[in-house]
Amino acid sequence: MTEFFGYPRPDGSVGIRNTLLILAGTVYANKLCAHVAGLIQGAIAIEHPLGRTQVKPDLRMTRRFLSGTGANPNVGGVVIVDHFQELGCTAEDIAQDISPTGKLIATVNIRKSGGLISATEKTTRYAMEIARRLSDQRREAVPLSKLIFGMNCGTSDTTSGLSSNPATGLCSDKIISEGGRSIMAETTEWMGAETWLTSKAVSKEVADKIMAGVADMEARALASGEDIRGSQPTGDNILGGLTTIEEKSMGACKKAGNSPIVDYLDIAMPPGSQPGLYVMYGPGHGAESISSIAAAGAQVLVFSTGGGHTVSHPIMPTIKVTGHQESWDLMKDTMELNVSGVLRGEISLEQAGQMIFDEVLATCNGRLTKSEILKDDNSFAIHRVGISI
Amino acid sequence: MKTVFVIEAADNVGTAVLEDLIRQGDTVGTTGRVTDVTITARADIPYGHKVALRPIKKGEQVIKYGLSIGTATEDIQPGDHVHIHNVESNRGRGDLAAKK
Repeated sequence: MTEFFGYPRPDGSVGIRNTLLILAGTVYANKLCAHVAGLIQGAIAIEHPLGRTQVKPDLRMTRRFLSGTGANPNVGGVVIVDHFQELGCTAEDIAQDISPTGKLIATVNIRKSGGLISATEKTTRYAMEIARRLSDQRREAVPLSKLIFGMNCGTSDTTSGLSSNPATGLCSDKIISEGGRSIMAETTEWMGAETWLTSKAVSKEVADKIMAGVADMEARALASGEDIRGSQPTGDNILGGLTTIEEKSMGACKKAGNSPIVDYLDIAMPPGSQPGLYVMYGPGHGAESISSIAAAGAQVLVFSTGGGHTVSHPIMPTIKVTGHQESWDLMKDTMELNVSGVLRGEISLEQAGQMIFDEVLATCNGRLTKSEILKDDNSFAIHRVGISI
Repeated sequence: MKTVFVIEAADNVGTAVLEDLIRQGDTVGTTGRVTDVTITARADIPYGHKVALRPIKKGEQVIKYGLSIGTATEDIQPGDHVHIHNVESNRGRGDLAAKK
């Protein structure tokens, strides 16, 4: 049985980080959160442009992303800041959603606090108190079955489907064989690969949900009245040799590995307790996709990329892997692994899968990703399902 | 001999994945699931791009990963570069839906 050293939480989940999150409930609290995070050791701010004057389904989606992110086991404590309460996504609403986890939570309302300066002081004090208590917590050995493993790909090229994606799938298989759970999202990139994906579903019910998810995403694309080409595949995909969304999809779905799909999840919703591979509804937009996976509770994510990438989630360490030597040479400042030896015949896919597994385990034990070290936590984004009004 | 990588036996295209770039006129073999095809490249094939292993007629499916990745928009000869200039997606075509 493989173990890792993590931070056990009151609800039975285990964090691989002990982050103090300063969470903006609304766009107007962004800079306050960023300023306080700059003052407090170990604190990270999450900023976003939403939280007010959205149509109801869209506002509920914002709340789901913010609450799920705060509830993620990597967050040891959270201070949520809002501006002036709006029904349906207040700091108190988000705190209530997070409270079943039993973690340390505080809320601040800028108007009720008497304005920006007072609210900044209050947020700083809460943050300092929580940081003191988090600093008492220690890592403990826990089974790998506590891990929810996220998988994503982006800036894909031909190498993705032939090396880094299938190797990531083999890593996922290994985590699942130890009782863990994996999440693969990006419904747009199942288009054209549905037959293969549904053949892996454990039941007709799950297969039907996958097909309905793809139909829904394709309908949203068709409703634009425009050809999806140009957006999917993206310009950099096409330059890399990917011709159509179908080709991109087949390569993307190689991340699924050889494990059966045990269930289909709506975007940013946590998986069930059953070990195995879960597929999640969501867009191909990398930051939205990994943010939905973090909001579902994944503690770590492998991002497979042909062209190289800087993508990195604020509270979910994001390990970057490429199978393209040139991309490694150009982008290794923010990348952990180079598996291009697969295409040169130097290493097998199984060896590449083991390299990724070893890196995931080291990261769970506390090894920092390069993006964490460089504080380049650039990729929090909330999926939108409606308009601003 | 330069080679392209073929993922499944049913594939009618191979992929250039070695840094030794394929130039027009090169003799090209195959590795992966198909190893017995030799073609002459009819164009330069950039890294990561596809080359036809067999004739693909206009309207026929282009097969990679053992599955269709799109439809040929013109007759494709063995050795041709296969990409957006001669293949179109069958999916997500809001432009076609709008014409109906």
